[in-house]
Amino acid sequence: MMKKLILFFVLAFLMTLRVGAQQYTSMSGLIHVPSAEMDAEGDARIGVHYLNQHMVPDVFSYEGEKYNTFDHYVSITPFWWIEIGYTCTLLKIDKYKINKLTNKDRYFSFKLNPLREGKWWPAVAVGCNDIADSRSVKDETADGELYFANYYLAATKHVDLSGNEIGVHLSYRHYTKAYNDKWNGVVGGVTFRPEFAKNCRVIAEYTGSDINVGIDCLLLKHLLMQASLQSGKYFSGGICYTVNLF
Amino acid sequence: MRLFKSLILFLAVSLGFSGVLQAQTAEPKRPLDIFMGVDFNYRDIFLTNNRVYDLLIYLTPGAKWNLGNGWMAAGQVLIPVVNNYGDYYKKIRPNMAVISKELYTGQKLFTKVSGGLFGRERYGLDVKSMFLVNDWFAFEAQVGLTGFCSMAVDWDASYPKRVTYLVGGDIYLKQWNTQFRGRVGRFQFADYGAIGECMRHFKHCSVGLYAQYSKDAIQEWNGGFKVVMMIPPYTRKHKKVNFRPASNFRFTYNMEADMYSNKMYTTDPEENEREGWFDRDKMKWGSNTMAPDFKTKE
Repeated sequence: MMKKLILFFVLAFLMTLRVGAQQYTSMSGLIHVPSAEMDAEGDARIGVHYLNQHMVPDVFSYEGEKYNTFDHYVSITPFWWIEIGYTCTLLKIDKYKINKLTNKDRYFSFKLNPLREGKWWPAVAVGCNDIADSRSVKDETADGELYFANYYLAATKHVDLSGNEIGVHLSYRHYTKAYNDKWNGVVGGVTFRPEFAKNCRVIAEYTGSDINVGIDCLLLKHLLMQASLQSGKYFSGGICYTVNLF
Repeated sequence: MRLFKSLILFLAVSLGFSGVLQAQTAEPKRPLDIFMGVDFNYRDIFLTNNRVYDLLIYLTPGAKWNLGNGWMAAGQVLIPVVNNYGDYYKKIRPNMAVISKELYTGQKLFTKVSGGLFGRERYGLDVKSMFLVNDWFAFEAQVGLTGFCSMAVDWDASYPKRVTYLVGGDIYLKQWNTQFRGRVGRFQFADYGAIGECMRHFKHCSVGLYAQYSKDAIQEWNGGFKVVMMIPPYTRKHKKVNFRPASNFRFTYNMEADMYSNKMYTTDPEENEREGWFDRDKMKWGSNTMAPDFKTKE
């Protein structure tokens, strides 16, 4: 029985495709840092993610204390050059005096890929998360929530080393809210995809304030899981179902 | 008894002895499809309860009887299985009972006339039309004369005096199976508005973004995304009576949680943005030019 179970997991491990994600936003990327990698044309995702309190903006607090939360999301890559995601993060709000994760913050994410990776040059992408809400669109003086609002320019280059793949990712990003300033500026990371497990990716990244490590893994062709430790200590992780619609 | 026999005779004659003819052909000429789908709704009212979302989920059993020559009789019932929305939605009730006729003028002009109880609690008459200008552009229009009709609490109805209409255009880019659609008009709650959407059609799924303006809504501008998934099995047997899942599951997200603006009743229990208004075997345009979602098992 045990042998069969191990065989099942080994086969599941090997019967997989390559994919990676800045998964809590539903988009391709690293952990907290965006990259210029794109999902394949037609890829769609639906999933949930556990977010440690250190992973979310500092305004995520209830009665003065930060809290851990979850988000859920969907995304689609309708064409090779664009990814679109929708994320809903659960909140507690002080003024309503409900100490449960029943309120939500919703935002869209977009990523455009004007330059695909070539032999001698990197892929380049521009993107944004949570860049506008309905209140700020209608009234420029209104201060919308926009907790995750940021935009970025990213470049990614992969190098093959004897079948192992190393990815180097560099981004410049800017958060619009002052309480997220710590994540502004030049950020980036390195990924490693070993030859013997092409469906897995080891990630190390610098977010502007923290160094995070993590791993993501695509199992059974459709289940993408990511686990990460922020500053090497605080766990965040999630799972999504991914499918190519072609 | 004599009346009953006369009725049977009338039906048999009017249907052209379909049952007899049926047994002699591989493709039944007047098949009856009985199907079951799901209507999924959710809303976010966190202040009034401790739930993350309120859910309203209906099972939607229905039937379509293809009477030949473009005639179709269809019906559908709503069976609530999860209801956090309130007592108004708790009853099992009919949602649709429609007779429709599709008319084709050459390969360019397609028209569908429907009468009966429509979806979204309307009843009356409805005419839809589509004119194919070329392979990538088409005009469309819809006009209806309807009243309110609901059996959610008791029988409640109004005279069918409301005129609704839509006019619009469709652009279909075959290379990418991508469709742009724009519509303006007067919708079922007598509100005036416009909708623009872009949808990419994949193998068994269509995904799109839309934006809308409603002159009468509290939040005039709205938008979101739509997903239409065709439900397996994708190979069907064609018998005289077919039992199957509903052809599709559709989902629409709108940012402003507006349940009333730019809504239009439905006249087909399986109506969706992917398949459009007309029989795909007759109108070879748009996503109908893709490989069919459902194939017939020999």
